[in-house]
Amino acid sequence: MQTLLIAYRNLLQHGKRTALLGSAIAGVAMLLLLLLGLSNGTRETMLRSATTLSTGHVNIGGFYKVTAGQSAPVVTKYKELVEHVRKNVPELDFVVTRGRGWAKAVSSGGSQQVGIAGVDIDAERDLRKVLVITSGNVDALRTPGNVMLFEEQAKKLEVKVGDLITVSAPTLRGTNNTLDLTVGAIAQDVGLLSKFNVFVPAQSLRQLYRLNEDSTGAIQLYLKEVKDVVAVQERLRKTLAEAGYGVMDNDPRAFFQKFEVVNREDWTGQKLDLTTWEDEISFTKWTLTALDALTFLLTLALLVVVGIGIMNTMAIAIRERTREIGTLRAMGMQRGQVLRMFLAEAVLLGLFGAVAGALLGVVVSTTVNALNIKVPIAVQLFLMSDTLHVAIQGSAMAFTVAFITGCISLISLVPSWMAARLKPVTAMQHAG
Amino acid sequence: MRPLLTAALVLFPLLARAAPLSADEVKKLVAALDDRQRNGGDYRALMYLEQKEKDKSDVVREAMVYRRDSDDKLMILFTKPKGESGKGYLRMDKNLWSYDPGTGKWERRTERERIAGTDSRRQDFDESRLADEYDPSYDGEQGLGKFKVHALTLKAKEGVDVAYPVVKLWVDQESGNILKRQEFALSGRLMRTAYYPRWKKVFSETKKADVWFPEEMRFFDEVEKANSTVILTKTVDLRPLEANLFTKAWVESKSR
Repeated sequence: MQTLLIAYRNLLQHGKRTALLGSAIAGVAMLLLLLLGLSNGTRETMLRSATTLSTGHVNIGGFYKVTAGQSAPVVTKYKELVEHVRKNVPELDFVVTRGRGWAKAVSSGGSQQVGIAGVDIDAERDLRKVLVITSGNVDALRTPGNVMLFEEQAKKLEVKVGDLITVSAPTLRGTNNTLDLTVGAIAQDVGLLSKFNVFVPAQSLRQLYRLNEDSTGAIQLYLKEVKDVVAVQERLRKTLAEAGYGVMDNDPRAFFQKFEVVNREDWTGQKLDLTTWEDEISFTKWTLTALDALTFLLTLALLVVVGIGIMNTMAIAIRERTREIGTLRAMGMQRGQVLRMFLAEAVLLGLFGAVAGALLGVVVSTTVNALNIKVPIAVQLFLMSDTLHVAIQGSAMAFTVAFITGCISLISLVPSWMAARLKPVTAMQHAG
Repeated sequence: MRPLLTAALVLFPLLARAAPLSADEVKKLVAALDDRQRNGGDYRALMYLEQKEKDKSDVVREAMVYRRDSDDKLMILFTKPKGESGKGYLRMDKNLWSYDPGTGKWERRTERERIAGTDSRRQDFDESRLADEYDPSYDGEQGLGKFKVHALTLKAKEGVDVAYPVVKLWVDQESGNILKRQEFALSGRLMRTAYYPRWKKVFSETKKADVWFPEEMRFFDEVEKANSTVILTKTVDLRPLEANLFTKAWVESKSR
């Protein structure tokens, strides 16, 4: 306690130096916290947009093959499957069915390959909450023959609400079909996933692919707790196989990445494919990996700079305070106590700096979130959102403070040890 | 009496011209369209495919097309440009496979897919099977530019999988060649129009008769109006091909 008190007084005594080093440490801590918050925010956005736009927490999808070389993302007799889910998944919150398709959307202004989701808009609980409609009305999806696009798609196709687009795709038997759709609503972009997805009423999708009423693309299960995802997936895999359904081996990728493999396999008919939300957006995971790598590299680079600064400043401080160390040693202070005193100074400095940085980080993140800052399209792809979203959790703050304080303490070990090694006579004779 | 006679003289040729071919005659006409293009033996052709797409620069590809009609085999091997060289399609046992030497992978494709992203499809390179796949009906005589043509509508036979369920043909009455073809989706929308302005014939030893082939094919995408493809057939050789040509190994060897 006494050592801490001395260390604290020493820090106060050298106010300018303390402020300078403390600011640098606070800066690093703030940056680390903001990057962690950005990574976490991106993860949250991904979960939010993915689990409304293209996947449930767990999905029962699958492929139907008329011939060995031709598969379609279709689940037949889905009503029986929904019953099976209700019986076997007590963790279930709610369930929706979505038609899946991949077609070319053509307007008079352009064309684009799009993933088509066939929805029953009245059964979709969270979709309305996530979508921000900028033009038209999402209720247009109640009427067959309408389509909801996202802003960037509408821009690319050069269409507005009320305009016509044609979607063209082969049916299950490979015969070409088209469907004319009226743009009923345009929604704000929601990152990468909204680049490829358009929404149509389930009936329209069935019309395009000539599917019967008992067919859909996937059954999307939303659980009360996201942590139960793996357990539910495993259980369903077992119970569905026991119930006589053909179930594909686990392949943690999005359904549209599996066509090549499925087409190569020699089977026909129906096979189910169980995936989690993470599987369905696995193709976007690189954004999180890249963001985490960026966080690590930036923090490391700044820590090295600040670390060298701290070592240097402490070495100067020790040189300036050599006579003081000599006096303390002559008065009976042991080497260990000198080491602890200098270490305590560094720990206190690191702690104050990190706490200040973390608090500053919270202020900055709150401001950023409140300002709803729009990011360029290239960054939208990376962040999975059209605005900057920083989500700082208590655990991230605690980690930042502990990590920065720990690093500063480790860095200061060398100069502290150097101070402790000084002989009292030599130190007292030091000219200073 | 005189006006009646005049009316009869005017109307008779019109009525005679509008009189449809009988169902049998139409079937025979379609069978003849297949037959005049059928070789029955081996076939090798050098082709150029020019692809035009909106907001993209034009791409010209050179390809060798090999067929063994007796075994229902087809192979398309791209030779130019450099980036496309070695890519190919191979039909084996009713499966169409595509090969990319860049990845070294074979992918199973649907039979009715576009070839190399152009507006052409497998059927454009393959043996004509109109009579096997479609039921024809006669739409009448028409004029197509300076040509007098038979206009036909072909509807896919029950249980036969085709890319387009409805096809309209305009057949030159004089030469018996198809001059124009339109293909429609299930929804009834016109998807593609093809023109065959030039036909050539080559004598087949296997058939002991002439085999006709379109020297030029022009395909127009009717959904994405700006897209089109022109295919020129430069040479056709009907001499027998190597026995082991239609294999994955042979296609792979061409890019090594």
